Amino acid sequence: MSKKRTGVFVCHCGTNIAATVDVAKVAREMSGEDTVAFTQEYVYMCSEPGQESVVQSIKDNKLDSIVVTCCSPNLHEKTFRDNAQRAGINNFTCEIANIREQCSWVHADKAKGTEKAIKISRSVVRRVNRNLPMDAVKVAVTRRAMVIGGGIAGIQAALDIANAGIEVILVEKQATIGGRMLQLSETFPTLDCSQCVLSPKMVEVNRHPNIRLMTYSEVKEVAGSVGNFRVKVHKRSSFVDPDKCKICDHCTEVCPVVVPNEYELGLTSRRAIYIPYAQAIPASFTLDEDACLGLNPIRCGKCKDVCEAGAIDYDMRPVTTTEEVGAIVVATGFDLYGPENMPELGGGRVEDVLDGLQFERLISASGATKGHILRPSDHKEPKDVVFIQCAGSRDPAKHCAYCSKICCMYTAKHARLYKKHVPDGRAYVFYIDIRSGGKGYEEFVQRTMEDDDTLYLRGRVSKLYRKGGKVRVMGTDTLTGQNVEIDADMVVLALAMTPSKGTMEIAKTLKIGRDKDGFLAEAHPKLRPVESVTGGIYLAGAAQAPKDIPETVAQAGAAAAKVIALLSQATLSRSPLIAKVRRSHCTGCGMCVEACPFIAIRLEGGKAVVNEALCEGCGSCSATCLRAAIDVKNVTQMQIHEMIEACLA
Amino acid sequence: MINLKDIRETARDMLAKGEARAVIGYRRGSRGMLAEPAFLTKPEEADELVWDPTCFHNLSLYLVHDRKHLAHAGKNSGGAPVAIIAKGCDARSIVVLMQEHYFKREDVYIIGVSCEGTGVVDERKLATHLNGVQASNAAFDGDDFVFTTAEGEKRIPAREVMADRCLECRSPYPKEHNLVFGEDKTGRQLEAPFAALDRFEAQGAGERWENWARHFDRCIRCFACRSVCPMCYCDECVVDSITFPVTTETTADEKASRIRWIERSAARSENITYLMTRAMHLAGRCTDCGECDRACPVNVPIRLLNNKMEKEAREQFGFEPGASIGGPSLVASFLDKDPGEFIR
Repeated sequence: MSKKRTGVFVCHCGTNIAATVDVAKVAREMSGEDTVAFTQEYVYMCSEPGQESVVQSIKDNKLDSIVVTCCSPNLHEKTFRDNAQRAGINNFTCEIANIREQCSWVHADKAKGTEKAIKISRSVVRRVNRNLPMDAVKVAVTRRAMVIGGGIAGIQAALDIANAGIEVILVEKQATIGGRMLQLSETFPTLDCSQCVLSPKMVEVNRHPNIRLMTYSEVKEVAGSVGNFRVKVHKRSSFVDPDKCKICDHCTEVCPVVVPNEYELGLTSRRAIYIPYAQAIPASFTLDEDACLGLNPIRCGKCKDVCEAGAIDYDMRPVTTTEEVGAIVVATGFDLYGPENMPELGGGRVEDVLDGLQFERLISASGATKGHILRPSDHKEPKDVVFIQCAGSRDPAKHCAYCSKICCMYTAKHARLYKKHVPDGRAYVFYIDIRSGGKGYEEFVQRTMEDDDTLYLRGRVSKLYRKGGKVRVMGTDTLTGQNVEIDADMVVLALAMTPSKGTMEIAKTLKIGRDKDGFLAEAHPKLRPVESVTGGIYLAGAAQAPKDIPETVAQAGAAAAKVIALLSQATLSRSPLIAKVRRSHCTGCGMCVEACPFIAIRLEGGKAVVNEALCEGCGSCSATCLRAAIDVKNVTQMQIHEMIEACLA
Repeated sequence: MINLKDIRETARDMLAKGEARAVIGYRRGSRGMLAEPAFLTKPEEADELVWDPTCFHNLSLYLVHDRKHLAHAGKNSGGAPVAIIAKGCDARSIVVLMQEHYFKREDVYIIGVSCEGTGVVDERKLATHLNGVQASNAAFDGDDFVFTTAEGEKRIPAREVMADRCLECRSPYPKEHNLVFGEDKTGRQLEAPFAALDRFEAQGAGERWENWARHFDRCIRCFACRSVCPMCYCDECVVDSITFPVTTETTADEKASRIRWIERSAARSENITYLMTRAMHLAGRCTDCGECDRACPVNVPIRLLNNKMEKEAREQFGFEPGASIGGPSLVASFLDKDPGEFIR
């Protein structure tokens, strides 16, 4: 093997690197390396002239490999690998040495920073010396998408993708699509009825020729990668054939089981056989197996007796199917922060203390009280209502550190709607500050304060408890510096938004990352906000971060655009940097099989075998193997060893 | 109380009926009181078997050797299983080996022996206790050991001369077995788990380092610890490329890239790398049979290193090495309840 001719390109990144690292010295040191034939430094290597000079230098100096010492490979590995290819050398002989995020940004001392930058650069030069040229693997793309979650985010994403002529499978855990938005009464800032805007979209989903709807279904397992996922979907048995069900309601009349109604957030009850709400899609009743008196053996059987349409089938079984899709949108939404976590606000055990969603149901025309505001304890109209913002939000010491973003707006909406229903009532709002950025938002809050005469109190509530048929709310008005005590008829908590339980589960199933708060992590906070860190999996809606409906719809559209762009390609390039087994060293212990998050390794004849179509080159196997019997290409044991040596030298 | 006759009877029977192609057990050594590993292939040899407080050896090592011999001969199986006498810790080692697919359950017939209320003797503790007097025989008797010496019979409460690992042992009963002798005294606790380690760790960092530096300096890298360990079954140990196996599948590139993770000299830095790497590679696999510690000719307390890993794994992940054949491995498995939020 003749000696490598490596070029080293040191980037200043303006002063981002150059302020803490003596870049000229790094370049000088690298030129002393045995395999380095050329070095260059430049103020912005990723700029047009910077990139051009990389290409030109490769050609002029007959370089066969390059190391760009700059920022994280996450940002510009592709940029410079493309340049390598443009200059006529193999793109996998280009590596990035990150001297910004892991060096200049975290150090202050220039001498030490320079020393570290030299070590990092040298280690990568040594690694590149053993890089092998490789060709990207072309794989065909499955032109079908899956959207997980049938709330407004999932509905929008599914419609946008389907309208581009791409088949979509929409998977929803509940018996109907619609999600949280379906539970809302009116929406800010225009106060249009939530169901009125959502229902047509739900119907459209149901009728769309390109959308296959799978309700009462959950994603159980995902294999494969971008362009070719295989998803196992488990459809629970609803015991009712939606095509036959006439929604006549006769079954609920005879069903003897009464359980809390989830859709009404426990404010009302439903039967074991039920329809989540009148306009449910699919329009069909569902038999809740867990609530039913018993199906095997049949304990009651009354519903089937009265069903004239013959839609009820007690022998219906759950079905697990495997769907092949090229891209996935995760839109699994949010839950509210559990009030049981907040003993200071009653811990969820004080009567007439509701959460925001329950209040939505209470004021909704389709809700339990048909839109009349009556408090749960005695069904009387509450005259003093206290709204508490930031319940669980913005409290890093005890609860969630982040701002849930929508509570300022919906609390203002709640107060307005309350005053509309109960004109002689008094509304109080405890707030920390008002965050009403958004088109028409600030004006909306102002109108609530001024036109609707809602009393905004700047401060937190320290305690609330039941006292004499009322809820005593003890708080502080920090503007006047006085303690405030209100005997309220009803209290509404604007509880923090948290990732839904389903979101946490799906993150594990899809192996996509979550952030510190549990929301799905985006690939880049600014430049890739709708992509997960895993290729081909996109994010939409409140599963990624708290957001309101317009933002959710916008993100869903963006995710759909990404999916459409991806699935418009006939083939995709897959990285050839995957795991390779050294059969001579493999003892077949199977630890790599267990460690592989992509189910890409199996044991065959007592040795590990890598499925090249599934391997993502993450290196978990290599790190686990006690016998150095499995390497990731271009990150071999030898290369790691030489990198460590370069760092320790 | 285990009746030796029963063990011998079982071995004889199995060999006579061809139910085992060999029985691995213990017999009286050629000198002194110590037992040594015995490999029986004929029924009449069964009377050689012994069971006493000097049956230290983790015989599962020889199952590994057997596998290697079979592989060398190009055979997958030797037909009938090998029967093996296994204490609690030994049986756990066998479980780990099966977890790692080193052999199958049907390849081995585990004749479990419970250590009941005692365990094996620590020769160093015994030498101190007997004040230089040599013992020619050792026997279990309830919670005591009885030693035969020139000065007559010495009865010593077992816990005074038992190995640390046996004092700390939580499960002196081989849970995985085909047949078992002795009472199940799981949960007996003569000393707190990790007591010796805790005593060591009670020192300050400086003192600990001084101690370890002394031990690491002393190591002669004879690799006795590795040779005696059933878990160290790799053909090529990552710490030395001397045993690099060259097969028809070995490529020129592989030959050229033999990595020397440590140098040959028995210097402190190299010894540290060796012993630490070994401890890391035994994390979740070491069942605390203590054989490395016993085999060390220069008294490096190797057990403490492995024990530290075991303690961490237990405290962090509730992990018990060798708990079940189908169970997860420590380093390759990931559970939701694992600590370390960053990884999610």
